[in-house]
Amino acid sequence: MSEFEKEEKIKADLENHFKGFVTNAAVTRKNRVWAEVETSKLPEVAAWFKARGFDYLATVTGFDEGENLGAFYHITDTHVIVNIKVKTPRANPSLPSVLATYPGALSYEKELEDMFGIKVAGLPPGRRYPLPDDFPTDQYPLRKDWTFVPPAGETEAK
Amino acid sequence: MKTIDKLITWSLLKSPWILHFNSGACNGCDIEVVDALTPKYDIERFGILQKAVPRHADILVVSGPVTRQQAKRLRTIYEQMPEPKFVMAVGACGCSGGVFDGCYGVIPGVDKTLPVSVYIPGCPVRPEAIIDGVVKLIQSVEGKK
Amino acid sequence: MSKITIPFGPQHVALKEPENFMLVLEGEQITGSTINLGYNHRGMEKAAEGRTYIQDLYLIERVCGICSHSHTTCYITNVEELAKCETPKRALAIRTLVAELERVHSHLLWIGVAGYEMGFETLFMYTWRDREQVLDCLELLSGNRVHYSINTIGGVRRDVSAEQKAEVMKRINYLVERTNYYIKLATEEPTVLARTQNVGKLPKNVAIERNAVGPTARASGIISDVRKDDPYLIYGELDFKAISHDTCDVFGRLVVRALELVESYKIIKQVLNNLPEGPIAVKVPMRIAPGEAVNHYEAPRGEDIHYLKSNGTDKPERLKVRAPTLANLQSVSYMLEGGWMADVPLVIAAIDPCMSCTDRAVVWDPKKGKKQTYGWEELRKLAIEQYRRRGVDFTRL
Repeated sequence: MSEFEKEEKIKADLENHFKGFVTNAAVTRKNRVWAEVETSKLPEVAAWFKARGFDYLATVTGFDEGENLGAFYHITDTHVIVNIKVKTPRANPSLPSVLATYPGALSYEKELEDMFGIKVAGLPPGRRYPLPDDFPTDQYPLRKDWTFVPPAGETEAK
Repeated sequence: MKTIDKLITWSLLKSPWILHFNSGACNGCDIEVVDALTPKYDIERFGILQKAVPRHADILVVSGPVTRQQAKRLRTIYEQMPEPKFVMAVGACGCSGGVFDGCYGVIPGVDKTLPVSVYIPGCPVRPEAIIDGVVKLIQSVEGKK
Repeated sequence: MSKITIPFGPQHVALKEPENFMLVLEGEQITGSTINLGYNHRGMEKAAEGRTYIQDLYLIERVCGICSHSHTTCYITNVEELAKCETPKRALAIRTLVAELERVHSHLLWIGVAGYEMGFETLFMYTWRDREQVLDCLELLSGNRVHYSINTIGGVRRDVSAEQKAEVMKRINYLVERTNYYIKLATEEPTVLARTQNVGKLPKNVAIERNAVGPTARASGIISDVRKDDPYLIYGELDFKAISHDTCDVFGRLVVRALELVESYKIIKQVLNNLPEGPIAVKVPMRIAPGEAVNHYEAPRGEDIHYLKSNGTDKPERLKVRAPTLANLQSVSYMLEGGWMADVPLVIAAIDPCMSCTDRAVVWDPKKGKKQTYGWEELRKLAIEQYRRRGVDFTRL
């Protein structure tokens, strides 16, 4: 029997409830569960966890894996952190929103849009975050192919 | 020097009023600037008062590496200050961008946005260094008289 | 009743980090608010990918000057997990010691700031003067008052000697006495109570829904503290309580932080009296094998969470930091709405924002077409004046 019973149970329940939509589920150490989930199922998975006492979406980490962009949703009940991975193709990146379940996720989802160019469906209108207002909207700093070139004249002292 | 200029310079030297602006700093320098107000260092005994409005300030104390979002505001605040005015760049970030040199979010160092009179290094700057910086500034103004 | 919109970004005396609140007023009551952030965005996560792990240590430290140790420890825990290294017990104990000293300095700083916002400047001066004792301890142990950089990959950089231990103990004993005085002040002084009770209400269910963390959440009756829920460093072996209060207001947040100070002193004494023997660091290779790690940490403001992905080189693939204040900001709009304008500075300060606002508040009345500009100082003075008219006056103290 694994020493991480609580975590193994969470992993098993997730795999059973969302049969066929969960891959690469693993318990890596105490209080950590990782799993990859079919992107369209994300809002349902979030709601499923929330109903089980996982009240907190700690944060959302976007990433760039080359062919795919995507994000980790770090969901926790303050003891166990479940890291749900979803992917989306680089050519047309988009993710469903989890705001209905986790209203506190607004900043995190806006960050995905600004930094990776991943469109999150259903975000309320408002100022962008975290980039400055005059930053070009078609540039995504956290993508691997983006490098920073300081504008001319910026490196001279006045 | 005209009498009014002499009066203004005298009041600056006797009691420089500072305005602190955070241009995207980590707060390390900021809490040391505020620390300078507290009983252990107490810059108020030198007549140095911290003001909240640019129009009352003689010295603009800027911490932080100047993020892009703050650069415009920094310029505006500087322009609202009456002459004679001076800028103090505080901390490694203020001097040259510090650890954030090379980050896309910053225009590294205050001197890329404003003319700087005094650079105070440190990460974060010590309150003693801030006092020293103000004193050196006053001495240099006196020297030019 | 005319609606007034204030873009509110005060110039804060004590804490300075840019952010902007849009407040909709009806008369003196706030009926709506939105938060605009991003003024402090420097591009650290991108920079982290281009620097080695040890360089990133110094970069991540500067996410925040007040809780720098929180960020480095969380980051280094991730790195050491990925490198599969056995950090020596003594190093973990020293990290815990510095962590609690940081919590003490941060909470004392906050009590001073809260006092300042209320108009209780004497409290501000007292707490910051006492805070110097903690900064002396930190300088003694690490060499710097802020940004102690005690961590290195595989352990800590400096050891604690017997003389240092004695010096720290002496100062902590002094602080224990002073803190008892502050607790008395916070819980019994009527002027403090008048400014903090029933102000900035955040009911428990809203706090959970909006994912509030740290003392902000614990003041709403949520008993959640990463040190207890998912112990890291040596917290699993220490005897201390997770403090919570159920008044859900600024008063609760004040009490929680004051009592947490007492617990921190307990922890510091336990750690100093039981420092395990052994080395302070182990060698870790420069290249870290591919993997992913997530760790969280109870920073003075709440849960700080880091994600790290390594790719076999000496530079990280992806580093993500979510500081606690970002999680707490979602609750601020709730706390402001329905409240008075006079309470705005204290309510915002009560989440202990690791941020400052350098925008100026502009009040405009669309009906009358009048514009008036307020700075934070003016708004703060206005708030103190409004309370003075209601009989809450700190100048008598």
